[in-house]
Amino acid sequence: MTPRSRTSVRAAVLTATALFAACTPARVRERPIMVNSDRVANTDSLVAAAAARGEADRARLEARRDSLMQVAMSTCNGGTCAALARGEVVLGMNSAQVMAATRTTPEAWTVRVAGPATIMTPRTLSRTPRDNSGELAMVQLQNGGVSTYAYRERQGLRVVATAADTGITARNRVLADRLQKEGDDFLSAGDRALALDRYDRALLLNPDDYGLEYKVASLLDLQLRPVEALMRYQRFLQQLELQRIDAQGTQAAKLTEAVVRAQQRIVILRQETEAAPPPATPPPAGQPPVDPQD
Amino acid sequence: MSLRGSVWTRRIGRTGQVAVLAALALVATACNAKRVSRIDPNAVTDLSGKWNDADSRLVANALIEQSLTAAWQRRYMTAHGGKNPTVMIGAFRNKSLELIPIQTFTRDLERAFINSGQVNVVASKEERDEIRAERTDQQQNAAADSRARQAMEAGANYILQGDVQSIEDSEGREKIIYYQIDATLIDLESNQKVWVGNHRIKKYVERRRLGME
Repeated sequence: MTPRSRTSVRAAVLTATALFAACTPARVRERPIMVNSDRVANTDSLVAAAAARGEADRARLEARRDSLMQVAMSTCNGGTCAALARGEVVLGMNSAQVMAATRTTPEAWTVRVAGPATIMTPRTLSRTPRDNSGELAMVQLQNGGVSTYAYRERQGLRVVATAADTGITARNRVLADRLQKEGDDFLSAGDRALALDRYDRALLLNPDDYGLEYKVASLLDLQLRPVEALMRYQRFLQQLELQRIDAQGTQAAKLTEAVVRAQQRIVILRQETEAAPPPATPPPAGQPPVDPQD
Repeated sequence: MSLRGSVWTRRIGRTGQVAVLAALALVATACNAKRVSRIDPNAVTDLSGKWNDADSRLVANALIEQSLTAAWQRRYMTAHGGKNPTVMIGAFRNKSLELIPIQTFTRDLERAFINSGQVNVVASKEERDEIRAERTDQQQNAAADSRARQAMEAGANYILQGDVQSIEDSEGREKIIYYQIDATLIDLESNQKVWVGNHRIKKYVERRRLGME
């Protein structure tokens, strides 16, 4: 073999090696699950199936809700019927009426029966049934009628057990009490700013609470905020004064009423005694003697 | 008549023949530079290995399937006597290094929600601004019987948020690209996460030196 042909052979071997090296197999050896020209699946059938399933569920729930509403309306009286129309739970409702008022079905509730008492609690806490006033945490029925129910409020549970607990004023009073308690807790923990925040919010809900006004004034005083403290102290005194005037006014009004009645009675009695002939015999015991001079 | 035998060929000589052939080949190649054709939108067509339409569709499909078969919608419906939950599509953040158009799959998801009839969808924050402007304009300019009423918007119960993240790993001519797409449905009132869906895509990109298959 001539030197020239030897060089050619070497070059050929080198080229082959380079080519081989270039085509070395990959380090990752995984079977591809999707390659070019494959097709991505279409979800239209899945969506259609979900739609059909959802429609069936909805139809079933609506049918049950309608039948509950029918039962509820057939057993309601004046106040309960109005509450049902408003979508509001009230005392005295039965379980069907509670579900009708909250527009739910038995699937939304866990019902526990213990003798004459029945307790309805939401099946899931993430989406609790709600009526017109708020989210219901519990409904208790006694002998078939709602005796107590509780709303899940921002400050905790608000229990309605009497007619006085219903309505905006009662709700505000309960919430103000809760806020004041929270404020007291913060105050005892040494967080005056948060305590003041809670007291302020409570005062917005129950502005006539002069005790709370005094508490806020003292707190501001402690926080070295004299202008605000002064204003609060003045408001506290003003509220007290108003209360005193109100009390005096009420008392005076009652007195005036008594005076007017007494005067009326005096006139009437005088007229009666003047018209009647003088008794021949002494009056029986227990009756005032009539003065003949009158 | 052959080219070789013609008078013109004899006149231009061998070099001329080569030049003419080269020019013809060039013209033929130039005419073939662009070719456009319609192909199936569902076809997988990976060219560079970067995020593409197939990835977007795979993500949409996975999220649609996961969200429509999960229990959150049914739970809401049961607790509300058959009423559908209302969802707003919120922010989907692209935290990868690539430019990924997010709305291609969020729109697919939105469409599936609406078409399934199981979920109500309300306009997103960006869409609302335009709608409100139009409604405000109607109060001034539209006839009373055709006027859209103010303050009658449906509030969303849930907001859908999510993100796209990617991890790349390469050595020599091989590259792995991993995408993770997470979607979360959050209760607007309680901040509770009622559903979490995700989809992962792992791509292997291999560049061959000699273009051999």
